[in-house]
Amino acid sequence: MASDLAPPPKTSKNPLGLLMIAAPVVLMGLFLLYPALRVVLRTFGAADGSPGFSLENYARFFNDSYSLNNLGITLWTTVVTLILLIVVNLPIALYLRFRKGRLATFIQALALFPMFVPGVIICYALIRYIGPNGLLQSLLEHVGITGYQTPIMTPWGPVIGLLWDAMPFTLLVLTAGLAGISNAAIEAAQDVGASRLRILWSIVLPQIRGSLVVCTSLNFLSLFGSVLQPYMLGPTSPELMGPFMLRTFSSVRDPLQAGTQATITFLICSVAGLLYILSMGNRRKAEKETVA
Amino acid sequence: MIRRFDLAGLVIAAALVFFILLPVLTVFIWAFAEQWFYPSLLPTKWGLRFWSKVLERPDVWSAFWTSMKITTLVTGLSALICLPAAYAFARMEFPGRQAFMMSFLMATAFPRFAITISLAVLFLVFNLVGTVTGVVIVQLLTTLLLMIWLPTAAFRGVSRNMEEAARDVGAGPLRVFWSITLPQALPSIAAAVLMTFVWTFYETEGAWLVGAPRITTMPILMMQMINNQMVVQYGAVLSVLLWVPSLAALLLARRVLGSDTFAKGLGA
Repeated sequence: MASDLAPPPKTSKNPLGLLMIAAPVVLMGLFLLYPALRVVLRTFGAADGSPGFSLENYARFFNDSYSLNNLGITLWTTVVTLILLIVVNLPIALYLRFRKGRLATFIQALALFPMFVPGVIICYALIRYIGPNGLLQSLLEHVGITGYQTPIMTPWGPVIGLLWDAMPFTLLVLTAGLAGISNAAIEAAQDVGASRLRILWSIVLPQIRGSLVVCTSLNFLSLFGSVLQPYMLGPTSPELMGPFMLRTFSSVRDPLQAGTQATITFLICSVAGLLYILSMGNRRKAEKETVA
Repeated sequence: MIRRFDLAGLVIAAALVFFILLPVLTVFIWAFAEQWFYPSLLPTKWGLRFWSKVLERPDVWSAFWTSMKITTLVTGLSALICLPAAYAFARMEFPGRQAFMMSFLMATAFPRFAITISLAVLFLVFNLVGTVTGVVIVQLLTTLLLMIWLPTAAFRGVSRNMEEAARDVGAGPLRVFWSITLPQALPSIAAAVLMTFVWTFYETEGAWLVGAPRITTMPILMMQMINNQMVVQYGAVLSVLLWVPSLAALLLARRVLGSDTFAKGLGA
Protein backbone atom coordinates (compact mmCIF):
# COMPACT_ATOMS: atom_id res chain seq x y z
CA MET A 1 0.00 0.00 0.00
CA ALA A 2 0.90 3.66 -0.17
CA SER A 3 3.97 4.63 1.81
CA ASP A 4 3.98 7.56 4.18
CA LEU A 5 5.74 9.74 1.64
CA ALA A 6 3.08 9.37 -1.04
CA PRO A 7 0.14 11.77 -0.86
CA PRO A 8 -2.79 10.33 1.05
CA PRO A 9 -5.05 8.24 -1.22
CA LYS A 10 -8.64 9.09 -2.12
CA THR A 11 -8.72 12.45 -0.35
CA SER A 12 -7.82 14.58 -3.33
CA LYS A 13 -7.94 18.37 -2.84
CA ASN A 14 -10.00 18.72 0.25
CA PRO A 15 -10.56 22.36 1.20
CA LEU A 16 -11.56 21.21 4.69
CA GLY A 17 -7.83 20.70 5.32
CA LEU A 18 -7.21 24.39 4.72
CA LEU A 19 -9.85 25.24 7.28
CA MET A 20 -8.20 22.96 9.84
CA ILE A 21 -4.80 24.57 9.52
CA ALA A 22 -6.26 28.08 9.38
CA ALA A 23 -5.99 28.80 13.12
CA PRO A 24 -2.24 28.26 13.54
CA VAL A 25 -1.52 29.96 10.21
CA VAL A 26 -3.51 33.04 11.20
CA LEU A 27 -1.80 33.08 14.62
CA MET A 28 1.63 32.98 13.01
CA GLY A 29 0.73 35.74 10.58
CA LEU A 30 -0.88 37.94 13.19
CA PHE A 31 1.58 37.52 16.05
CA LEU A 32 4.83 36.69 14.31
CA LEU A 33 5.01 38.01 10.78
CA TYR A 34 2.93 41.18 11.18
CA PRO A 35 4.62 42.54 14.34
CA ALA A 36 8.07 41.76 12.94
CA LEU A 37 7.37 43.57 9.66
CA ARG A 38 5.74 46.45 11.49
CA VAL A 39 8.73 46.94 13.76
CA VAL A 40 11.22 46.73 10.90
CA LEU A 41 9.30 49.35 8.89
CA ARG A 42 8.87 51.68 11.85
CA THR A 43 12.54 51.67 12.76
CA PHE A 44 13.32 52.98 9.27
CA GLY A 45 11.19 56.02 10.02
CA ALA A 46 11.92 59.17 12.02
CA ALA A 47 12.55 58.86 15.76
CA ASP A 48 9.58 61.10 16.59
CA GLY A 49 7.24 58.91 14.54
CA SER A 50 6.67 61.38 11.69
CA PRO A 51 6.23 59.72 8.28
CA GLY A 52 9.00 59.19 5.74
CA PHE A 53 12.17 57.18 5.42
CA SER A 54 14.97 57.89 7.85
CA LEU A 55 18.01 56.16 9.29
CA GLU A 56 17.88 58.21 12.50
CA ASN A 57 17.26 55.21 14.79
CA TYR A 58 20.16 53.30 13.29
CA ALA A 59 22.45 56.31 13.47
CA ARG A 60 21.62 56.49 17.15
CA PHE A 61 22.52 52.84 17.65
CA PHE A 62 25.74 52.90 15.64
CA ASN A 63 26.97 56.18 17.11
CA ASP A 64 26.51 54.92 20.64
CA SER A 65 29.60 53.16 21.94
CA TYR A 66 27.58 51.37 24.63
CA SER A 67 25.28 49.80 22.01
CA LEU A 68 28.25 48.87 19.82
CA ASN A 69 30.01 47.22 22.77
CA ASN A 70 26.89 45.20 23.43
CA LEU A 71 26.73 44.08 19.82
CA GLY A 72 30.43 43.17 19.99
CA ILE A 73 30.12 41.11 23.17
CA THR A 74 27.08 39.34 21.71
CA LEU A 75 29.04 38.33 18.62
CA TRP A 76 32.01 37.28 20.76
CA THR A 77 29.83 35.16 23.07
CA THR A 78 28.03 33.57 20.12
CA VAL A 79 31.19 32.66 18.21
CA VAL A 80 33.12 31.40 21.25
CA THR A 81 30.17 29.26 22.38
CA LEU A 82 29.67 27.88 18.85
CA ILE A 83 33.32 26.84 18.63
CA LEU A 84 33.28 25.31 22.11
CA LEU A 85 30.08 23.42 21.33
CA ILE A 86 31.74 21.67 18.39
CA VAL A 87 35.08 21.16 20.18
CA VAL A 88 33.32 19.57 23.17
CA ASN A 89 30.61 17.59 21.39
CA LEU A 90 32.46 16.20 18.39
CA PRO A 91 34.77 13.98 20.50
CA ILE A 92 31.79 12.77 22.54
CA ALA A 93 29.80 12.04 19.37
CA LEU A 94 32.78 10.19 17.85
CA TYR A 95 33.22 8.20 21.03
CA LEU A 96 29.53 7.23 21.05
CA ARG A 97 29.70 6.29 17.37
CA PHE A 98 32.52 3.79 17.82
CA ARG A 99 32.09 2.51 21.36
CA LYS A 100 29.24 0.60 22.88
CA GLY A 101 28.79 -0.59 26.42
CA ARG A 102 28.01 0.67 29.87
CA LEU A 103 30.43 3.58 29.90
CA ALA A 104 29.07 4.80 26.54
CA THR A 105 25.49 4.63 27.86
CA PHE A 106 26.53 6.56 30.96
CA ILE A 107 28.26 9.23 28.87
CA GLN A 108 25.26 9.57 26.58
CA ALA A 109 22.85 9.89 29.50
CA LEU A 110 24.97 12.58 31.16
CA ALA A 111 25.55 14.57 27.98
CA LEU A 112 21.82 14.60 27.14
CA PHE A 113 20.76 15.35 30.69
CA PRO A 114 20.59 19.19 30.29
CA MET A 115 17.63 18.55 27.95
CA PHE A 116 15.57 17.86 31.06
CA VAL A 117 16.69 20.87 33.08
CA PRO A 118 14.87 24.22 32.63
CA GLY A 119 16.98 27.34 32.10
CA VAL A 120 16.32 29.01 35.45
CA ILE A 121 17.44 25.94 37.33
CA ILE A 122 20.59 25.59 35.19
CA CYS A 123 21.54 29.17 36.00
CA TYR A 124 20.90 28.70 39.68
CA ALA A 125 22.87 25.45 39.77
CA LEU A 126 25.84 27.04 38.02
CA ILE A 127 25.87 30.04 40.36
CA ARG A 128 26.01 27.74 43.38
CA TYR A 129 28.57 25.47 41.76
CA ILE A 130 31.09 27.66 39.92
CA GLY A 131 30.15 30.93 41.60
CA PRO A 132 32.15 32.62 44.35
CA ASN A 133 32.54 30.29 47.35
CA GLY A 134 30.70 27.61 45.39
CA LEU A 135 31.13 23.88 45.58
CA LEU A 136 33.81 23.82 42.89
CA GLN A 137 35.93 26.32 44.78
CA SER A 138 35.55 24.23 47.95
CA LEU A 139 36.57 21.10 46.05
CA LEU A 140 39.64 22.82 44.61
CA GLU A 141 40.56 24.18 48.03
CA HIS A 142 40.44 20.68 49.45
CA VAL A 143 42.97 19.38 46.95
CA GLY A 144 45.18 22.39 47.63
CA ILE A 145 44.36 24.62 44.66
CA THR A 146 43.77 28.19 45.78
CA GLY A 147 43.22 31.41 43.86
CA TYR A 148 40.10 30.24 42.01
CA GLN A 149 38.54 33.04 40.00
CA THR A 150 34.85 32.57 39.32
CA PRO A 151 33.67 33.04 35.72
CA ILE A 152 30.27 34.23 36.97
CA MET A 153 29.70 37.93 36.20
CA THR A 154 32.47 37.80 33.59
CA PRO A 155 31.84 37.25 29.85
CA TRP A 156 32.67 33.56 30.40
CA GLY A 157 29.66 33.06 32.69
CA PRO A 158 27.10 33.18 29.86
CA VAL A 159 29.39 31.08 27.65
CA ILE A 160 29.37 28.29 30.24
CA GLY A 161 25.61 28.55 30.84
CA LEU A 162 24.83 28.53 27.11
CA LEU A 163 27.22 25.63 26.53
CA TRP A 164 25.36 23.65 29.20
CA ASP A 165 22.04 24.48 27.61
CA ALA A 166 22.90 23.76 23.97
CA MET A 167 24.91 20.58 24.50
CA PRO A 168 22.18 17.96 24.05
CA PHE A 169 20.88 19.46 20.81
CA THR A 170 24.36 19.74 19.31
CA LEU A 171 25.28 16.21 20.35
CA LEU A 172 22.06 14.76 18.94
CA VAL A 173 22.57 16.40 15.55
CA LEU A 174 26.21 15.32 15.39
CA THR A 175 25.51 11.70 16.40
CA ALA A 176 22.75 11.55 13.79
CA GLY A 177 25.26 12.76 11.18
CA LEU A 178 27.95 10.31 12.27
CA ALA A 179 25.50 7.40 12.13
CA GLY A 180 25.48 7.80 8.34
CA ILE A 181 29.20 7.03 7.97
CA SER A 182 29.90 3.44 7.01
CA ASN A 183 32.37 1.36 8.99
CA ALA A 184 33.71 0.00 5.70
CA ALA A 185 34.99 3.40 4.55
CA ILE A 186 36.85 3.93 7.82
CA GLU A 187 38.28 0.41 7.88
CA ALA A 188 39.49 0.79 4.31
CA ALA A 189 41.29 3.99 5.24
CA GLN A 190 42.83 2.30 8.28
CA ASP A 191 44.03 -0.56 6.07
CA VAL A 192 46.00 1.81 3.87
CA GLY A 193 47.56 3.29 6.99
CA ALA A 194 45.69 6.58 7.40
CA SER A 195 46.14 8.19 10.81
CA ARG A 196 43.17 8.97 13.07
CA LEU A 197 43.47 12.67 12.38
CA ARG A 198 43.62 12.03 8.66
CA ILE A 199 40.47 9.87 8.84
CA LEU A 200 38.69 12.57 10.82
CA TRP A 201 39.70 15.26 8.34
CA SER A 202 39.22 13.40 5.05
CA ILE A 203 36.37 10.99 5.74
CA VAL A 204 34.38 11.98 8.81
CA LEU A 205 34.21 15.78 8.54
CA PRO A 206 33.12 15.96 4.87
CA GLN A 207 30.36 13.43 5.61
CA ILE A 208 28.91 15.40 8.52
CA ARG A 209 29.17 18.82 6.90
CA GLY A 210 25.38 19.04 6.67
CA SER A 211 24.95 18.26 10.38
CA LEU A 212 27.59 20.81 11.30
CA VAL A 213 25.78 23.50 9.30
CA VAL A 214 22.39 22.62 10.82
CA CYS A 215 23.51 22.66 14.44
CA THR A 216 25.74 25.70 14.01
CA SER A 217 23.08 27.80 12.28
CA LEU A 218 20.31 26.89 14.74
CA ASN A 219 22.64 27.38 17.70
CA PHE A 220 23.63 30.78 16.30
CA LEU A 221 19.98 31.87 16.33
CA SER A 222 19.37 30.82 19.91
CA LEU A 223 22.74 32.02 21.26
CA PHE A 224 22.59 35.46 19.66
CA GLY A 225 19.13 36.11 21.07
CA SER A 226 19.67 34.47 24.46
CA VAL A 227 18.40 36.37 27.51
CA LEU A 228 18.34 34.24 30.63
CA GLN A 229 21.93 32.97 30.83
CA PRO A 230 23.57 36.32 29.98
CA TYR A 231 21.28 38.12 32.42
CA MET A 232 21.87 35.71 35.30
CA LEU A 233 25.50 34.74 34.74
CA GLY A 234 27.07 37.63 32.85
CA PRO A 235 28.34 41.11 33.73
CA THR A 236 25.86 44.01 33.82
CA SER A 237 27.97 45.94 31.33
CA PRO A 238 28.53 45.28 28.50
CA GLU A 239 25.36 43.22 28.16
CA LEU A 240 24.24 40.84 25.43
CA MET A 241 21.61 41.92 22.89
CA GLY A 242 18.91 39.83 24.64
CA PRO A 243 19.08 41.53 28.05
CA PHE A 244 19.86 44.84 26.28
CA MET A 245 16.61 44.69 24.27
CA LEU A 246 14.68 43.64 27.34
CA ARG A 247 16.01 46.54 29.40
CA THR A 248 15.52 49.05 26.59
CA PHE A 249 11.89 47.98 26.31
CA SER A 250 10.95 47.44 29.98
CA SER A 251 13.15 49.85 31.98
CA VAL A 252 14.22 52.58 29.55
CA ARG A 253 10.74 52.37 27.97
CA ASP A 254 12.00 53.13 24.49
CA PRO A 255 10.12 50.67 22.24
CA LEU A 256 11.45 52.24 19.05
CA GLN A 257 15.08 51.75 20.05
CA ALA A 258 14.25 48.22 21.32
CA GLY A 259 12.72 47.61 17.89
CA THR A 260 15.87 48.93 16.22
CA GLN A 261 17.96 46.52 18.28
CA ALA A 262 15.57 43.71 17.34
CA THR A 263 15.85 44.58 13.64
CA ILE A 264 19.65 44.53 13.86
CA THR A 265 19.33 41.12 15.53
CA PHE A 266 17.02 39.98 12.70
CA LEU A 267 19.49 41.12 10.06
CA ILE A 268 22.52 39.45 11.62
CA CYS A 269 20.60 36.26 12.34
CA SER A 270 19.10 36.14 8.85
CA VAL A 271 22.42 34.78 7.58
CA ALA A 272 22.18 31.83 9.96
CA GLY A 273 18.47 31.42 9.23
CA LEU A 274 19.09 31.30 5.50
CA LEU A 275 21.88 28.75 5.93
CA TYR A 276 19.54 26.61 8.01
CA ILE A 277 16.71 26.75 5.47
CA LEU A 278 19.07 25.95 2.60
CA SER A 279 20.59 22.97 4.38
CA MET A 280 17.13 21.68 5.31
CA GLY A 281 16.14 21.96 1.66
CA ASN A 282 19.24 20.03 0.61
CA ARG A 283 18.51 17.39 3.18
CA ARG A 284 14.95 16.93 1.94
CA LYS A 285 16.17 16.67 -1.64
CA ALA A 286 18.75 14.07 -0.63
CA GLU A 287 16.10 12.09 1.25
CA LYS A 288 13.81 12.14 -1.76
CA GLU A 289 16.60 10.93 -4.04
CA THR A 290 17.49 8.03 -1.77
CA VAL A 291 13.83 7.03 -1.61
CA ALA A 292 13.33 7.18 -5.38
CA MET B 1 37.24 -10.08 23.27
CA ILE B 2 40.08 -8.30 25.01
CA ARG B 3 38.95 -5.29 27.01
CA ARG B 4 41.24 -2.40 26.38
CA PHE B 5 41.60 0.27 29.00
CA ASP B 6 39.18 2.93 27.78
CA LEU B 7 41.07 6.13 28.61
CA ALA B 8 39.09 8.40 26.27
CA GLY B 9 35.81 7.19 27.74
CA LEU B 10 36.94 7.72 31.31
CA VAL B 11 38.19 11.24 30.57
CA ILE B 12 34.90 12.19 28.89
CA ALA B 13 32.83 10.64 31.69
CA ALA B 14 34.85 12.42 34.38
CA ALA B 15 34.59 15.77 32.58
CA LEU B 16 30.82 15.35 32.23
CA VAL B 17 30.45 14.47 35.91
CA PHE B 18 32.21 17.71 36.80
CA PHE B 19 30.43 19.84 34.23
CA ILE B 20 26.88 18.41 34.21
CA LEU B 21 26.25 16.30 37.29
CA LEU B 22 27.90 18.26 40.10
CA PRO B 23 26.07 21.57 39.46
CA VAL B 24 22.69 19.81 39.69
CA LEU B 25 23.83 17.90 42.76
CA THR B 26 24.82 21.18 44.40
CA VAL B 27 21.23 22.42 44.19
CA PHE B 28 19.92 19.23 45.79
CA ILE B 29 22.41 19.49 48.66
CA TRP B 30 21.55 23.15 49.25
CA ALA B 31 17.85 22.26 49.48
CA PHE B 32 18.57 20.03 52.48
CA ALA B 33 21.14 22.30 54.13
CA GLU B 34 20.32 24.49 57.09
CA GLN B 35 23.82 25.82 57.27
CA TRP B 36 26.66 25.47 54.80
CA PHE B 37 29.80 27.47 55.45
CA TYR B 38 32.54 27.80 52.89
CA PRO B 39 34.84 25.87 52.34
CA SER B 40 33.10 22.86 53.86
CA LEU B 41 32.41 20.20 51.21
CA LEU B 42 29.05 19.31 52.71
CA PRO B 43 26.51 21.31 54.73
CA THR B 44 27.54 22.08 58.28
CA LYS B 45 23.97 21.42 59.36
CA TRP B 46 21.38 19.32 57.48
CA GLY B 47 17.67 19.77 57.81
CA LEU B 48 14.29 20.55 56.27
CA ARG B 49 13.70 23.87 57.98
CA PHE B 50 13.64 25.84 54.72
CA TRP B 51 11.03 23.61 53.12
CA SER B 52 8.32 24.79 55.47
CA LYS B 53 9.64 28.35 55.19
CA VAL B 54 9.25 28.25 51.40
CA LEU B 55 5.80 26.71 51.63
CA GLU B 56 4.70 29.43 54.06
CA ARG B 57 5.53 32.25 51.67
CA PRO B 58 2.42 33.79 50.05
CA ASP B 59 4.40 35.04 47.04
CA VAL B 60 5.41 31.44 46.22
CA TRP B 61 1.80 30.30 46.20
CA SER B 62 0.52 33.24 44.22
CA ALA B 63 3.27 32.75 41.59
CA PHE B 64 2.53 29.04 41.51
CA TRP B 65 -1.17 29.54 40.85
CA THR B 66 -0.48 32.27 38.28
CA SER B 67 1.82 29.87 36.46
CA MET B 68 -0.62 26.98 36.66
CA LYS B 69 -3.46 29.13 35.34
CA ILE B 70 -1.47 30.53 32.43
CA THR B 71 0.17 27.20 31.59
CA THR B 72 -3.15 25.33 31.57
CA LEU B 73 -4.72 28.00 29.39
CA VAL B 74 -1.81 27.99 26.93
CA THR B 75 -1.61 24.20 26.70
CA GLY B 76 -5.36 23.86 26.25
CA LEU B 77 -5.55 26.53 23.55
CA SER B 78 -2.49 25.10 21.84
CA ALA B 79 -4.06 21.64 21.67
CA LEU B 80 -7.34 23.07 20.41
CA ILE B 81 -5.61 25.00 17.64
CA CYS B 82 -2.86 22.59 16.67
CA LEU B 83 -4.39 19.12 16.82
CA PRO B 84 -6.80 19.62 13.89
CA ALA B 85 -3.94 21.15 11.92
CA ALA B 86 -1.74 18.15 12.75
CA TYR B 87 -4.43 15.79 11.49
CA ALA B 88 -4.80 17.81 8.29
CA PHE B 89 -1.04 17.84 7.66
CA ALA B 90 -0.80 14.10 8.29
CA ARG B 91 -3.85 12.84 6.45
CA MET B 92 -5.38 15.36 4.09
CA GLU B 93 -4.42 16.75 0.74
CA PHE B 94 -5.23 20.41 0.22
CA PRO B 95 -3.92 23.26 -1.89
CA GLY B 96 -0.68 24.71 -0.54
CA ARG B 97 -0.04 21.87 1.91
CA GLN B 98 3.71 21.70 1.23
CA ALA B 99 4.11 25.47 1.31
CA PHE B 100 2.34 25.77 4.66
CA MET B 101 4.44 22.97 6.14
CA MET B 102 7.58 24.74 4.98
CA SER B 103 6.42 28.07 6.37
CA PHE B 104 6.00 26.50 9.80
CA LEU B 105 9.53 25.14 9.56
CA MET B 106 10.80 28.55 8.55
CA ALA B 107 9.42 30.05 11.74
CA THR B 108 12.31 28.34 13.54
CA ALA B 109 14.77 30.33 11.41
CA PHE B 110 14.06 33.54 13.32
CA PRO B 111 15.72 34.69 16.53
CA ARG B 112 12.90 34.10 18.96
CA PHE B 113 13.53 36.92 21.39
CA ALA B 114 13.68 39.56 18.65
CA ILE B 115 10.23 38.33 17.56
CA THR B 116 9.02 38.60 21.13
CA ILE B 117 10.30 42.18 21.31
CA SER B 118 8.42 43.12 18.16
CA LEU B 119 5.29 41.46 19.54
CA ALA B 120 5.67 43.38 22.81
CA VAL B 121 5.98 46.65 20.84
CA LEU B 122 2.68 45.79 19.13
CA PHE B 123 1.09 44.89 22.47
CA LEU B 124 1.80 48.44 23.72
CA VAL B 125 -0.76 49.67 21.20
CA PHE B 126 -3.43 47.28 22.47
CA ASN B 127 -2.56 47.69 26.17
CA LEU B 128 -1.68 44.01 26.42
CA VAL B 129 1.65 44.54 28.19
CA GLY B 130 1.35 43.39 31.78
CA THR B 131 -1.78 41.31 31.14
CA VAL B 132 -2.47 37.60 31.28
CA THR B 133 -3.76 37.73 27.69
CA GLY B 134 -0.44 39.10 26.50
CA VAL B 135 1.57 36.41 28.27
CA VAL B 136 -0.77 33.70 26.97
CA ILE B 137 -0.33 34.87 23.36
CA VAL B 138 3.47 35.03 23.63
CA GLN B 139 3.70 31.58 25.17
CA LEU B 140 1.11 30.10 22.82
CA LEU B 141 3.31 31.10 19.92
CA THR B 142 6.27 29.19 21.34
CA THR B 143 4.22 25.98 21.66
CA LEU B 144 2.89 25.82 18.08
CA LEU B 145 5.75 23.91 16.48
CA LEU B 146 5.96 21.14 19.05
CA MET B 147 2.19 20.79 19.21
CA ILE B 148 1.92 20.48 15.42
CA TRP B 149 4.89 18.27 14.57
CA LEU B 150 4.64 15.59 17.25
CA PRO B 151 0.91 14.94 16.69
CA THR B 152 1.44 15.03 12.89
CA ALA B 153 3.94 12.20 13.27
CA ALA B 154 1.50 10.39 15.57
CA PHE B 155 -1.38 10.60 13.07
CA ARG B 156 0.94 9.44 10.30
CA GLY B 157 1.86 6.39 12.32
CA VAL B 158 -1.72 5.14 12.57
CA SER B 159 -2.28 2.02 10.51
CA ARG B 160 -4.20 2.80 7.33
CA ASN B 161 -5.14 -0.83 6.89
CA MET B 162 -7.12 -0.81 10.10
CA GLU B 163 -8.89 2.40 9.12
CA GLU B 164 -9.81 0.96 5.76
CA ALA B 165 -10.99 -2.31 7.25
CA ALA B 166 -13.31 -0.34 9.53
CA ARG B 167 -14.56 1.68 6.57
CA ASP B 168 -15.17 -1.54 4.60
CA VAL B 169 -17.51 -2.86 7.27
CA GLY B 170 -19.49 0.36 7.03
CA ALA B 171 -18.08 2.76 9.64
CA GLY B 172 -18.49 6.45 8.85
CA PRO B 173 -15.48 8.77 8.78
CA LEU B 174 -16.15 10.20 12.25
CA ARG B 175 -16.60 6.72 13.68
CA VAL B 176 -13.31 5.61 12.11
CA PHE B 177 -11.55 8.63 13.57
CA TRP B 178 -13.04 8.15 17.02
CA SER B 179 -12.61 4.37 17.31
CA ILE B 180 -9.47 3.64 15.27
CA THR B 181 -7.35 6.73 14.57
CA LEU B 182 -7.60 8.60 17.86
CA PRO B 183 -6.90 5.69 20.25
CA GLN B 184 -3.76 4.81 18.30
CA ALA B 185 -2.44 8.36 18.17
CA LEU B 186 -3.48 9.24 21.71
CA PRO B 187 -0.36 8.20 23.69
CA SER B 188 1.91 10.34 21.50
CA ILE B 189 -0.51 13.25 21.60
CA ALA B 190 -0.70 13.02 25.39
CA ALA B 191 3.09 13.04 25.53
CA ALA B 192 3.20 16.16 23.35
CA VAL B 193 0.66 17.86 25.61
CA LEU B 194 2.72 16.92 28.66
CA MET B 195 5.92 18.31 27.13
CA THR B 196 4.14 21.51 26.12
CA PHE B 197 2.82 21.91 29.65
CA VAL B 198 6.24 21.49 31.26
CA TRP B 199 8.08 23.81 28.87
CA THR B 200 5.36 26.45 29.05
CA PHE B 201 5.50 26.34 32.85
CA TYR B 202 9.22 27.14 32.67
CA GLU B 203 9.03 29.67 29.82
CA THR B 204 10.71 32.74 31.26
CA GLU B 205 11.75 35.31 28.70
CA GLY B 206 8.41 35.96 27.00
CA ALA B 207 6.51 36.06 30.30
CA TRP B 208 9.09 38.44 31.73
CA LEU B 209 9.09 40.84 28.78
CA VAL B 210 5.32 40.97 28.30
CA GLY B 211 4.13 40.25 31.84
CA ALA B 212 6.39 42.55 33.86
CA PRO B 213 5.90 44.07 36.30
CA ARG B 214 2.37 42.99 37.10
CA ILE B 215 2.52 39.27 36.38
CA THR B 216 4.94 37.09 38.32
CA THR B 217 5.14 33.51 37.14
CA MET B 218 7.07 30.83 38.97
CA PRO B 219 10.33 31.05 36.98
CA ILE B 220 10.29 34.85 37.33
CA LEU B 221 9.88 34.55 41.09
CA MET B 222 12.74 32.04 41.17
CA MET B 223 14.90 34.47 39.21
CA GLN B 224 14.13 37.26 41.66
CA MET B 225 14.92 35.01 44.61
CA ILE B 226 18.22 33.94 43.07
CA ASN B 227 19.29 37.46 42.15
CA ASN B 228 18.35 39.11 45.40
CA GLN B 229 20.53 36.55 47.17
CA MET B 230 18.39 36.66 50.28
CA VAL B 231 18.48 33.08 51.42
CA VAL B 232 20.25 30.56 49.21
CA GLN B 233 17.97 27.74 50.27
CA TYR B 234 14.77 29.33 48.92
CA GLY B 235 15.95 28.95 45.33
CA ALA B 236 17.25 25.46 46.00
CA VAL B 237 14.07 24.18 47.64
CA LEU B 238 11.89 25.67 44.90
CA SER B 239 14.10 24.16 42.20
CA VAL B 240 13.91 20.67 43.70
CA LEU B 241 10.21 20.98 44.48
CA LEU B 242 9.25 22.02 40.95
CA TRP B 243 11.84 20.26 38.90
CA VAL B 244 11.39 16.70 40.18
CA PRO B 245 7.76 16.38 38.99
CA SER B 246 8.60 17.99 35.65
CA LEU B 247 11.55 15.62 35.19
CA ALA B 248 9.22 12.68 35.83
CA ALA B 249 6.74 14.06 33.27
CA LEU B 250 9.44 14.57 30.64
CA LEU B 251 10.91 11.11 31.17
CA LEU B 252 7.43 9.66 30.75
CA ALA B 253 6.95 11.62 27.53
CA ARG B 254 10.30 10.40 26.26
CA ARG B 255 9.32 6.83 27.00
CA VAL B 256 6.06 7.11 25.09
CA LEU B 257 7.55 8.93 22.11
CA GLY B 258 10.87 7.15 21.82
CA SER B 259 14.10 9.09 22.26
CA ASP B 260 14.38 10.18 18.61
CA THR B 261 10.93 11.75 18.33
CA PHE B 262 11.32 13.29 21.78
CA ALA B 263 14.55 14.95 20.67
CA LYS B 264 12.87 16.16 17.47
CA GLY B 265 10.18 17.71 19.61
CA LEU B 266 12.88 19.77 21.26
CA GLY B 267 14.07 20.98 17.88
CA ALA B 268 16.84 18.48 17.11
